[in-house]
Amino acid sequence: MVIERAGRGIALLPVLAVVFLLPARSDTFGHFGAYGAIFAMVGLSMNVLVGYTGQISLGQQAFVGLGALTAANVIDTGTVAAEPFTFALGILAGVGVAAGAALVLGAIALRIQGLYLALVTLVFGGVTADAVFTIPRLNGQEAGVSAIRPDALAGEYAFYLFALAMVALCLYVDIQVRRSKIGRGLVALRENELAAQAFGVNVTGYKLIGFVISGAMAGLAGSVFAFWTQEFSDKDFTSGAGFSLALTFVVMVVVGGLGNRTGVVIAAVFFALISPSSPMLGWLSNKTHWGSFYFDHKFYISNTIGAALLLQTIVMNPGGLGQVVAPITRWFAGEPFSFHGDADTSTTGAQVADVRA
Amino acid sequence: MTTLATPFSAQVNLIQPIIDGLAHGAAYGLLGLGLVLIYKSNRIFNFAQGEFAGVGALMTYMIYTGYSFLPKLPFGLAAVAGLLAGILTALATERAVIRPLFHRPRVVLVVGTVGVTLLLIGVEGLVFPRGGALPTVDAVVGLDTPYLTKIDGVPLLYQNLLTLAVLAILAVGAFLFFRHTNTGTAILAVSQDSTAARVVGISIERISMITWGIAGLLGGIAGIILAVPPAGTVLPGAFTGTILTVAFSAAVLGGMTSLPGAFAGGLLMGLIEAFANADYSFIPGLSSLPSAQSEVAVAVVLLLVLLARPQGLLGREV
Repeated sequence: MVIERAGRGIALLPVLAVVFLLPARSDTFGHFGAYGAIFAMVGLSMNVLVGYTGQISLGQQAFVGLGALTAANVIDTGTVAAEPFTFALGILAGVGVAAGAALVLGAIALRIQGLYLALVTLVFGGVTADAVFTIPRLNGQEAGVSAIRPDALAGEYAFYLFALAMVALCLYVDIQVRRSKIGRGLVALRENELAAQAFGVNVTGYKLIGFVISGAMAGLAGSVFAFWTQEFSDKDFTSGAGFSLALTFVVMVVVGGLGNRTGVVIAAVFFALISPSSPMLGWLSNKTHWGSFYFDHKFYISNTIGAALLLQTIVMNPGGLGQVVAPITRWFAGEPFSFHGDADTSTTGAQVADVRA
Repeated sequence: MTTLATPFSAQVNLIQPIIDGLAHGAAYGLLGLGLVLIYKSNRIFNFAQGEFAGVGALMTYMIYTGYSFLPKLPFGLAAVAGLLAGILTALATERAVIRPLFHRPRVVLVVGTVGVTLLLIGVEGLVFPRGGALPTVDAVVGLDTPYLTKIDGVPLLYQNLLTLAVLAILAVGAFLFFRHTNTGTAILAVSQDSTAARVVGISIERISMITWGIAGLLGGIAGIILAVPPAGTVLPGAFTGTILTVAFSAAVLGGMTSLPGAFAGGLLMGLIEAFANADYSFIPGLSSLPSAQSEVAVAVVLLLVLLARPQGLLGREV
């Protein structure tokens, strides 16, 4: 058994090679590898909120933006590289502020539920971005707020590895949350709030916890994003750009498979690479003669692909990508290869995609 | 002439925000009608309503200007084509997305309409990436001036009057439709209890198609009336980006199930926005307000309504 599992581990090598070696190839690759990692963190944050807790959020870009805004403002490096200590402080502050904002939204979600919550989160995200991020003292006006990385992370590949470590942290939190009492409480209130309450689940507390964990992860993603671009610019999150980000985040968690962390991470990386602000598009436009068409239409192309995948997923394949790759992930976990899962449907299968109205 | 102006009216021009507010409010109301219609019948928020309008406006524009291989036709015919495009888009949405998901949780359907929105924006952008605007009503009819009269120097545009009139007619018409026709009553019956409606012989599929067809028609009308200068464009996603969120808030303010409520809520929201955006810099301490006053005002109103009076101004459980 051990030998067999080790043998299957060898099959992971190509995956690891892509994850670790491809971004090392050039700065460009490292740069958009890190972008994918940032999206993966946002995807996991959506997974906790939408997948486990069953609360829809169309305003997640606000938490990402708050993380970026806070981290950049705490550091505000000017033209010098950040000290490692202030760097860590900035990231922690970004996480904290985003988690605090998520607590506020969670408190609202205690009173307003279902479809109306979707609307409120949409408005919340838009207003936070357009009202808070545009305050001149916070956004550095035209110049933006600079957030130069510490020397150790100045290289693109080094920063990519750092971002990857942060994804691993989020994954760890995701796994621990799902396995613990908290996760069972979240899933219980997703399935039926009234029944959960009847069984003694503290619905208020768990709903807030769900929002806070999700907000903290999104804030982490935002802090890393600030150091990825090495500045905070409100234009990344306000009006049209923010709206499109918010919808992309929802699309990717649904396409990945609600509650399925493997699927969500894969989908998040995919959507990072096709997103309009993806560095891949600029790179492609230099490499191919399709480039100029791609560049002119990149917003619409990624919209169309994302929307088509979303509709395909919810209409025909509610389990999402996670369900599609489930036979493979189960095989890696040491089970026999089979298209039909065992009884453990806690992360895939029947009950996913059932965000309650 | 000496004016007996109070300090307030000396600083804030009241006419401008009122006219602006009613003009924008009519736009919110027009989209809001479609939102309320779908909410009344399907109990979902239709995020695609803005793009039904977008498709209608775009089709009208393409035929009116003879874009690419399309024929160049007079405005009336182009508008009919635009309305048809809106209806067909809505019917396709109903067939491909709504019907397969009919028995899933409501939130899944809402995510489905978000997907339709993104898809429509994407396809519109790929077919037709440039912006443009439809002609105003005075240009179509051939009037000399774009405004009926000026009040305190603020023009009262024909286009805005038309929007208000159309909104009022549609709101009353739709209200009567639900109150007095068999089809309208059947739509309400299906929304309350689809099984019971089926038992008494109502075809749920047919009702669903009719509802979405009407929503597409309302969207098309909104698109053709709103995609005109100075504010409106036929840019893909323009309606979703600028009008839809506020239209939702307006519909919620009006009571989400009430068609006259969508009308009133739309106008009220327009006025709230316009007054929030007015220039208050003469009041000490308010000179450095961030630029998003109207958005904050909309959000605050939405939250207050949802927390304090979830049934809105005119809504009641049908």
